Amino acid sequence: MATFHTHHPPEDCLNCEHRHLRMFCNLTPEALQDFDAVGIMMNHARGARLFSEGDTARNVFIICFGQVKISSTSRDGKTMILKIAGPGDVMGLSAVLANVPHEVTAEAIEPCQVKTIRKQEFIDFLGRHGIASMHAAQSLSSEYLTVFHDAKRLALSGSAAGRLARLLLDWGRSAANGRPDIKFTMALTHEEVANMAGTSRETVTRLLNQFRRDGWITIKGTSVTIVEPAQLERLTA
Amino acid sequence: MRTLESETQFGQITAARRPLTELFACTPAVQAILSAASQRIECSAGDAVFHQHEVCRGLYVIASGDFVRKAVRMKTHLKLGSVRAGEVVELAAALGDGRHTYTLSALTAGSLLLLPLSALQKAFAIYPPFRMHLLEELAREVSRAYLTCCIGQMSRRRRRGFLTAE
Repeated sequence: MATFHTHHPPEDCLNCEHRHLRMFCNLTPEALQDFDAVGIMMNHARGARLFSEGDTARNVFIICFGQVKISSTSRDGKTMILKIAGPGDVMGLSAVLANVPHEVTAEAIEPCQVKTIRKQEFIDFLGRHGIASMHAAQSLSSEYLTVFHDAKRLALSGSAAGRLARLLLDWGRSAANGRPDIKFTMALTHEEVANMAGTSRETVTRLLNQFRRDGWITIKGTSVTIVEPAQLERLTA
Repeated sequence: MRTLESETQFGQITAARRPLTELFACTPAVQAILSAASQRIECSAGDAVFHQHEVCRGLYVIASGDFVRKAVRMKTHLKLGSVRAGEVVELAAALGDGRHTYTLSALTAGSLLLLPLSALQKAFAIYPPFRMHLLEELAREVSRAYLTCCIGQMSRRRRRGFLTAE
């Protein structure tokens, strides 16, 4: 989850102050110089669709700042949100490298800056730099575990409160990045959160209010702070 | 069960697993390095071949038997599926940061071939496309994971009526 959108967006990869925090972009000086020269930096408004499920995979996308909703849609137009991608996440990597159409749809849920690199340009870049292909492998590995983790969150937590608590903890810990305060920006609507937690919008609203009344979380606008993570953990058990 | 659009799409786009001969297609010199360095490991049912977070020794190819991949993430235990003879395991660790991303345990008695990291590194240096072959296979595995999870989740949510209209 993004907490970086209050910072100035990076103008290029060489001067990006967040680079050392990001898995893929934290490259050697030589690889970074080359990485800076490939692709283009693009700004996307909230709601912009970066790619759709079934589209031919022509580009790889690396999020510099902002959040992107990754979802899949059924024949009758129902949407399932798989995850929220944030700064440093690489999108479209599996489809580009496996040479298959995009498995999912990516849509900006807040203004985003995304580095977009053409498929062949990206593959050539990986071929030139061993460290970049190593980071690509780490990104794929992380994506692999995330996909399964999201599926299991729904399958394993018996109650709606437990599933919502697990979701909040995942987002909070991901944004905290090891810092003690567990705080994140929730750019999703209650309807979308309900979709991820496998429950109804009304239940999400009721549970968030209950967590807040109990002093387990605080909510200011879109900013959510988890005050009592142990209490939320207890619900997920 | 009704067919979902995504299932149909995924049916068309699912990335098939590459045969080992194609995956390990490289120059005779590289093949000689890999063959000379490979080690055979015998397992009994219940044995763990390696554990999550352990340092990865190399790439494993299942020769016989059934194995299961398990991972723990933020206190959630995940079963990532089974692997059988002819499959390659731990591409992510061998190509990535060198630590196992999951635990591999034997479900039945079986055996594996271990291609040590040092031999893989030599092979990558002599023949760089080999690394890309393996990275592409890892990408196929992720793509297949999306298929498995999307179909599973959609079926479950449909039964429970949790999908929301756009």
